Amino acid sequence: MSEIPLPQAARRVAPWWLTRHETMLAAILLVALIVLGALNNRFLTLDNLLNQGRLTTEVGLIALPMTFIIITGGIDLSVGSIVGLCAILLGYSWKNFGFPLPLAIAFSLLVGAAAGFLNGLVITRVKVPPLIMTIATLALYRGLAEGISQARSVRGYPEWFYFIGQENLLGVPAQLWLLLIAIVIAGIVLDRTTFGRTLYAIGNNETAARFSGLPVDRAKLIIYTLSGLMAALSAVVLVSRVTTTRSDMGIGYELDVIATVVLGGTSIFGGVGTIWGTVVGLAMIQLLKDGLALTGVKGDATIVVIGTVLILSTLVASSLQRRRDGV
Amino acid sequence: MRTRIVLALLSATLLAGAANAADKRWDGADDLPVNPLACAAGEASAAPAAKPYDGGQPTGAPDKAGKPISLVDVPKLIGIGYFNATSKGMQDAAKELGNVTVKTDGPTEAKIDEQIKFIDNYITSGVDGVLFAANDPVAIAPVLKKALSKGIHVVGYDANSTPNAREWFVNQAEFNGIAKAMIDSMAKEAGEDKSFAIVTSTFTTPNQARWIAEMWAYAQKCHPKLTWLETVEAQEDNNLSFNQATTLINKHGDKLAGLFGMTSVATPASAEAVTKAKLCGKVAVVGLATPNAMKPYVNTDCVKSVVLWNPVDLGYAATYVMRAVVDGKLKPGATSVEAGKLGKLSVVNGSEILLGSPFIFSKQNIKDFDF
Amino acid sequence: MSTMAVTQAEADPRRFLRALASQEALLAIAVIFLAVAVGLYNPRFLATRNLSDVLLGNAYIAVAAVGMSMVIVSGNIDISVGSLIGVLATLSGTLAVNGVPIIVAWLAPLVAGILVMALQGIIIAYLRIPAIVVTLGMLSILKGGLISVTGGKWITDLPDGFHLADTELFGTVPMPVFLMIVATILAAIWMRYSAPGRAIYAVGGNAEAARLCGISQPRTVVMVFALHGLFAGIAALLYATQLRVIQSTVPPNLELTIITAAVVGGVSILGGVGTVIGSTLAAILIAEIASALVFIDVSPYWIRAVQGVLILVTVIADILRRRRMAGA
Repeated sequence: MSEIPLPQAARRVAPWWLTRHETMLAAILLVALIVLGALNNRFLTLDNLLNQGRLTTEVGLIALPMTFIIITGGIDLSVGSIVGLCAILLGYSWKNFGFPLPLAIAFSLLVGAAAGFLNGLVITRVKVPPLIMTIATLALYRGLAEGISQARSVRGYPEWFYFIGQENLLGVPAQLWLLLIAIVIAGIVLDRTTFGRTLYAIGNNETAARFSGLPVDRAKLIIYTLSGLMAALSAVVLVSRVTTTRSDMGIGYELDVIATVVLGGTSIFGGVGTIWGTVVGLAMIQLLKDGLALTGVKGDATIVVIGTVLILSTLVASSLQRRRDGV
Repeated sequence: MRTRIVLALLSATLLAGAANAADKRWDGADDLPVNPLACAAGEASAAPAAKPYDGGQPTGAPDKAGKPISLVDVPKLIGIGYFNATSKGMQDAAKELGNVTVKTDGPTEAKIDEQIKFIDNYITSGVDGVLFAANDPVAIAPVLKKALSKGIHVVGYDANSTPNAREWFVNQAEFNGIAKAMIDSMAKEAGEDKSFAIVTSTFTTPNQARWIAEMWAYAQKCHPKLTWLETVEAQEDNNLSFNQATTLINKHGDKLAGLFGMTSVATPASAEAVTKAKLCGKVAVVGLATPNAMKPYVNTDCVKSVVLWNPVDLGYAATYVMRAVVDGKLKPGATSVEAGKLGKLSVVNGSEILLGSPFIFSKQNIKDFDF
Repeated sequence: MSTMAVTQAEADPRRFLRALASQEALLAIAVIFLAVAVGLYNPRFLATRNLSDVLLGNAYIAVAAVGMSMVIVSGNIDISVGSLIGVLATLSGTLAVNGVPIIVAWLAPLVAGILVMALQGIIIAYLRIPAIVVTLGMLSILKGGLISVTGGKWITDLPDGFHLADTELFGTVPMPVFLMIVATILAAIWMRYSAPGRAIYAVGGNAEAARLCGISQPRTVVMVFALHGLFAGIAALLYATQLRVIQSTVPPNLELTIITAAVVGGVSILGGVGTVIGSTLAAILIAEIASALVFIDVSPYWIRAVQGVLILVTVIADILRRRRMAGA
């Protein structure tokens, strides 16, 4: 009797945690940091790194719910426009409606959540695919920002408001605390709660998830609302940092956020991704831009490098992942 | 589906109706105070009421008088002809001075957020001075103040920030001077009682908004029969500007006697639209533009005059001003500054240095310029 | 984007054809209806000059949308096309001012477009990097590269024969419009009736099923991207030859406009459904709306909001219509 051939076990290239996308990326990041640090002695100072943390908060806050969304196989291109809309409404409601500033901030957060909720509602009820719905709301929300503001800026906020965007708390930039707290919460939710596992299930096979009785629509509604809410929070931080409102705020954020999330190992096809990966992606892009600038590389060359890094890192990480999976 | 389109269109029309209230500023103007010049023709230099110095000062700036300094120039964006020209002027000045190096770096799109990050990086890398052209006067202030607080000198050009965020601002021409030149040209070329439209880049660009506001004020005062029809936005894209200008021509027909181009993209595109529509001579095109882009139209007499200033001179002057500041030759309260081949430039409005009057390019002189 | 199983509706050919005809017809009706409605408000809108200007000025978007539709039908996406068009237009102009024969200056962007896009297709199909990552990276590479090389210096002094838009066929039809119509019809026929064309739908609808039928997904994807590059090249040519100067910059938001045209045209982002005729009609409709909003005096501050509402209304209506047809 001839031997029945057994399936080949996946060849182990290295321990599983070493070849995870996130670890590979962190390794690449470490190498980049060392190289850039060697080239320029002002790069690896605490002052600079904290400052970079301050500057990356706006994109970072939005990247967290975007991770959730992309894990479910969706996408949200309207985040940049929501930032613009909420920034405008923050100023507009404070100046034109006469809201006291804390109320204006709350109003702005509410509008952001509502904008995200609208996205989620149409995506789950009418079943418009996320890409299409958020392309439409990208135009709509930006248009609302332009129309409501009539291209006017609102400035002259009370001093305490600038604390969020410009001051330090215990030595660390104020908005960075916000980001760190958000990262911890998002990480716990995704990794440790049923909600998080529901997101992965939706991303892996939405139909199966539905038939398993998971609250698919409710989960989607929540994450898109969350995305709008974080975009609004990001807008508040931005207005505080630059002391004014403009209807073109946030233009292009969606691409920065998606690049961050995707670089961090979240698969655009859904079902795979971690908050930790997103954080590494965030750090990578920001520190790379900063390090290159300090080394003397100019703006146009920097974006070429970032684009190349994006493609190459994904290439390296995903081919190692495939080797690990024995594919 | 069709009903919804109709409803949407109807509501849009209603919105439009509500928006067209009489006697308010033209679309695209900002709401800051205006100061129209006198109506008389000729050099209208505003008599500057001597304002006290209102710029900011660096804290703890190292004394580098006479020593080599390295500067960074962060314009609104890189990769457009206008800022290539200012950059060239800076390089020319640096070469003449001998102890200055200037590097031009900035975002690839006119976004204030990106510009702030660039300036922030250069603060960290320890430059001696920052030259800037701001995408937003208020938003750029915090990072400039940070530079000042670290002992870095800050001089602006082309697009200002709030005064206390920089030491000096080199102004290419007064806003009301440009407005006067533009409106006077239009009245002359199109006619005193004719109608015109404006093509601008975006409504949120501060300089454009200032010019339109000043143009509105001056027109009300000195050319009240000149009628404004509408303002359209066209980003910074040639093809979009062309399409918008063409739409305006088709919409208003004979009623349109003139087009204003508010940027170096909008003006040649409007001229092209007028040329394609075979309306050269019937629709006047007046605007701000660089000479190279306008040569084809000026040479065919489609456009009579192009208003601008010399951006190369602007960059040149900014560098000289920075050098004078570092050397201690330009202190708060000064009334003029030496700027190399440009001679003595006056200080106006407290902390602004005026390059001069707007320059008019016409068929006679346009061939002498190459930018 | 998770690959959904082919729904009942798409599998049934009769329903499929009916759904197909409907979105295109709806768009055509919308185009005509809008023209009439605006014409009532301002008759100048219906002047031949204006209608032809609308088509002429936006033909390049329609041509690019043809290629984009193919990419989306195959289950991918491309956000680098705007940057690529900027680069190709600059390439074409640079060749023309340097004395290269005009015909070469016209063909160069086509060839370069095919090569660049095919490269992306290879990375996507064979190296299995998601399209959004590759094209996002390529967007930055092209944009930064263009500025580094040209510094944004405008190309003026283009030779007279360069301007394609000035040529008219049969005395009336301007070249850009002619190219737009021809490209759309040829692409539509090819996608419906040829084997490789149908393979695109198969791969987009259900890649695994397609593979079992012997359709090579990687090869199809590379082919689709190469074709997309060809159309992007033609679009770049139209973009470059429209005016007397070339800006040497990346046209702002162009990729978004092109994707919107494809999506409004009925191309499903889930892949497997949609036609290029729909995307061309949608591109025309979008251009028409932009012009109409100026004609009917919509406050310029609200124009983008109105456009956003119209896009939203269109996509919701499209999805609702599809669901009704599928009996879902």
